[in-house]
Amino acid sequence: MKRRAIISISGLVQGIGFRPFVYRLAVKRGLKGYVKNLGDAGVEIDVNGEEGELRAFLRDLREEKPSIAIYTKIGVKWLDFSDEYSGFTIDSSDMGKREVKLSIIPPDISICDECLQDLFNPSDRHYLYPFTCCALCGPRFTTMTDIPYDRERTTMSDFPLCLDCSREFYDPLDRRFNAQTICCPENGPSMTLYDPGKAVVEKKNPIKVAAELLEEGLIVAIKGIGGIHLAVKTIEDDPILRLRERRRKANKPFAIMSPGLEEVRRYALVSELEKDLLNSYARPIVVLRKREPFPLSAYISPGLHTVGVMLPYSGINHLLFHYSREPALVMTSANFPGEPMIVSNQEAFKRLNGVADYFLLHNRKIWARCDDSVVKMIDGHPTFLRRSRGYVPMPITLPFSSRIRVVAVGPELTSTASVLKEDKCYLTQHIGDIESPESLAFLQEALRHMMTLLRVDRPEAVACDLHPGFLSRTVASELAEESGAPLIEVQHHHAHLAKLMVENLIEPGKEAVGIVCDGYGYGSDGTPWGGEILVGGYRGFNRVGHLEPQPMPGGDLCAYRYGRMLQGILYGEIPEEELREFLSKNCLKGFSRGEKEVEVVFNQLGKRIYTPMTTSTGRLLDAVSCLLGISYTRTYEGEGAMTLEATAAKGSRRSFRLPLEIEDEGGMLVLKTSQMVRRLLELRSRYGKEDLAYAFQETLAEGLAEMALRVAEDQGLRMIGFTGGVAYNDMMTRVIRERVEKGGCRFLYHQKVPCGDGGISLGQAVVASFRAL
Amino acid sequence: MREVIKLEHGGGGRLMRELVEEVIVPAYKRNRVEGGIGLPEMDDGATIPLNGHNIVFTTDAYTVKPLFFPGGDIGRLAICGTINDLAVMGATPLALATSIIMEEGLPIEVLKKVVGSMNRALEEVGVPLVAGDTKVMERGKLDELVINASGMGFADRVVTDSGLKPGNKIILTGTIGNHQLSLLSSREGLQFEAPLESDVAPLWGMIKEALNIGGITAMKDPTRGGLSSALNDMSRKSEVDILLWEESIPIKGVVRSATELLGLDPLELANEGISIIGVEEEKAEEVLGAVRRDRYGGDAAIAGTVLKGRGRVILETFVGGKRIVREPLGSPMPRIC
Repeated sequence: MKRRAIISISGLVQGIGFRPFVYRLAVKRGLKGYVKNLGDAGVEIDVNGEEGELRAFLRDLREEKPSIAIYTKIGVKWLDFSDEYSGFTIDSSDMGKREVKLSIIPPDISICDECLQDLFNPSDRHYLYPFTCCALCGPRFTTMTDIPYDRERTTMSDFPLCLDCSREFYDPLDRRFNAQTICCPENGPSMTLYDPGKAVVEKKNPIKVAAELLEEGLIVAIKGIGGIHLAVKTIEDDPILRLRERRRKANKPFAIMSPGLEEVRRYALVSELEKDLLNSYARPIVVLRKREPFPLSAYISPGLHTVGVMLPYSGINHLLFHYSREPALVMTSANFPGEPMIVSNQEAFKRLNGVADYFLLHNRKIWARCDDSVVKMIDGHPTFLRRSRGYVPMPITLPFSSRIRVVAVGPELTSTASVLKEDKCYLTQHIGDIESPESLAFLQEALRHMMTLLRVDRPEAVACDLHPGFLSRTVASELAEESGAPLIEVQHHHAHLAKLMVENLIEPGKEAVGIVCDGYGYGSDGTPWGGEILVGGYRGFNRVGHLEPQPMPGGDLCAYRYGRMLQGILYGEIPEEELREFLSKNCLKGFSRGEKEVEVVFNQLGKRIYTPMTTSTGRLLDAVSCLLGISYTRTYEGEGAMTLEATAAKGSRRSFRLPLEIEDEGGMLVLKTSQMVRRLLELRSRYGKEDLAYAFQETLAEGLAEMALRVAEDQGLRMIGFTGGVAYNDMMTRVIRERVEKGGCRFLYHQKVPCGDGGISLGQAVVASFRAL
Repeated sequence: MREVIKLEHGGGGRLMRELVEEVIVPAYKRNRVEGGIGLPEMDDGATIPLNGHNIVFTTDAYTVKPLFFPGGDIGRLAICGTINDLAVMGATPLALATSIIMEEGLPIEVLKKVVGSMNRALEEVGVPLVAGDTKVMERGKLDELVINASGMGFADRVVTDSGLKPGNKIILTGTIGNHQLSLLSSREGLQFEAPLESDVAPLWGMIKEALNIGGITAMKDPTRGGLSSALNDMSRKSEVDILLWEESIPIKGVVRSATELLGLDPLELANEGISIIGVEEEKAEEVLGAVRRDRYGGDAAIAGTVLKGRGRVILETFVGGKRIVREPLGSPMPRIC
């Protein structure tokens, strides 16, 4: 019998060649009707034909689904056969005012194998054309100005289709059928190599010349998909040191790109899982363990046992290596501290003058800036350090559906923002440190863009950090005022716990114990927190334990000069004279003014001049890093803890033990850290720093797990999670998980959003969605 | 709003402003003389229009520990603070009145020194003190001595803190941070590499000369909360952005190095002898010259410019980056993760 089926699919189905895929299936089954994109980012299919064929078509839809596509919901309505269609067609987008439902908007997808073949096929018209893409691959999110995803609402609208492209675009059986960002040398964007004076150096073969310049050791700014990279060769020290000096980034690890896995394996260890990550269509930077000896420059990631690596993801990347013999190139986002990555040609010339020797730019606008994502294997699981290109704007699915729409602005550093709607939360791309007018503007832009794509113009709640001075709060206040929504303040570490629970799909109403460790968050009592044991759920939390509060003479100065923090921790633990002598002899690099500063800090400690007390884990690890002579000052976030971890990775368990004492102060558990540090000081002359670093991390992790287990037992809870920036520590995560599991509890860890502040906005949005009601 | 008054509510930052905006200003039904500047403006003083002229009126309370500090004392502070509040409104100070509240047991010698110092400050600008009051409180109920001072002035043309226009230049009439840091050093016995004195001084002489040149669009006293608080007030009320050049901000080496050692932000330190002057670009150099000729203006500099915007203060740092200068909260607070 002939019948009619109206099928609606939501999920990730636009912008990935989905309609042509449906077309081919329908034609194969001899069905008539149409497929069209809906304004809510879903698709609607109307098919008419024999019921058996219709059912087979439905099966095909599921079984032959393109690998990138995600179905979150398929609805089928069976109706009587209609003979109004003479064939099967792809209808142009329906922008009608239908009810807007949630769906998925595509992320940027690395160039596919077939396009790569075209790129290097001398008889193809895309031969050596860097912007080659098709319906299955290429830039998406970075080009989209609005939904639905159609060429006129992308930055490709500046490049009308030529005859050949147009033929492919309208040929339903072509790979480039209805692919919105396709182009060719005839009509598409082009690259040009400039000198710093904006003079054209090469227009005909700019990538080839750029590759040659890179081989000579010069620094080239390269505009790509989501922003501009600074590239430099990796086999010599001098070019990298020059880049470090010009960018004012002393030690911050640079990401590198290699042409293929084979090259990567020469300098780094790659597991099967890491290989899959490197090759995944998102092509993130994967943090790999370095081979020893490391054959590339040590200045790529000084003091670390790891290196961030990615494989080429665009035609531009592939061509660069096609013309070059380099085994790897530094590919670091072109930005200055506290500012977002540069995306426009004009800004590049202005700001990178004196940084880049040459500029390899193209004439396609970047609508949404999007930094490379960064993933690291932690305790055997891939974990986001930064969730951005290739993942954004795909949502995190929630274990509940919210009745209100919530916007969250994130914290202040390494930030993202979020929009929560129904049962999904959409995190923006990486925004970074919000300290400059540019980064504040980026936060606003990114959030507004996400709100536009999701059709959330008036949120019913706006969430921000509890810290009264974070700049992101000003964005939140404005949004709240504009939409008449309540402004909901969410404590930093509660947001961490909530984001951990929500990505683990813990049902509302349930509670978990959270070990939340990071550098700093404004506590509910106004003091600086950062080593917390919390019990809570989505609505609220209780602080039930923390690290021993330690003085922070000079506040944030301690985050930059680890010697000050160490002095604060040991002050009162050992005689002042002994401490003075130790610091003078071993740790003066941890101060900026030498012994004079040590005296001022003694004064500050003695008289409590701007010396807040903090439970921060990050500051504690910084201090230990200084004590062991590993690192002394911060040139990038997390440096103290990361170099300590790198040192500990070369150590092992020895016969000595550090004191592990948990005090119960009226129901509040406190892990005594001063005596741990003091003991480390005593052992310093007898053991290597590797074993001492190992022991400290292990004992600290054991102490944190022990506190959490006691609380879980007391309160009859079965779940313990570990989150916050310290959860990037592979060894500490492993130790905590082992203890937690041994104690019979389920261990919660992050896989979908960053452990650190890059995921905070998700937690804020979730908490606000419960509190606002 | 938090339920009890905390020290931060007196810190000259956002908490103080919000307390005044939310609790104090709305409490009074009548809060201005018709046509004049009143309480809601939260300017340095109020104006009372009178036959086409303006009486300017201000009041302030002074508490400081220790009473005597390098470069000044509470008496000089009270007089200068009041004179300066009038001066930055563009007003010639006419007369002052003070109340002194003392703790039982205070040596009369201390009182004598304080009023003697007040007299010397008044003589500098030739302004009389015409009314006063004294009270004594039980031992322990008050810390030694506090002063309230009110002042009255006269202005043909009132200068507010909200008149900045894009293109205006920002003049700082002296080095920043000296007052609060010298207090801290004498209170806590901190030794710096060079002696440091409070900048407490009456600025009417300097401001009179500057006003004579013309082109001044806004002025403010960067006292508690320092430059950060005062500039944020000015940019917010004027609905403009202020761009500050870090390298042009006058600051003594000893202040810079001490703040770098203590973790304090020199932009948030209180001053008692400098003023912020917004001036039309064409007149900027001339006004700067006049300020510099004054005995308290030798270190003056053009340290910023006014941009179109919506109330932000942006610092262009030594290395060329830009960062947003936040309104202080009332006490320093970490924010780095």
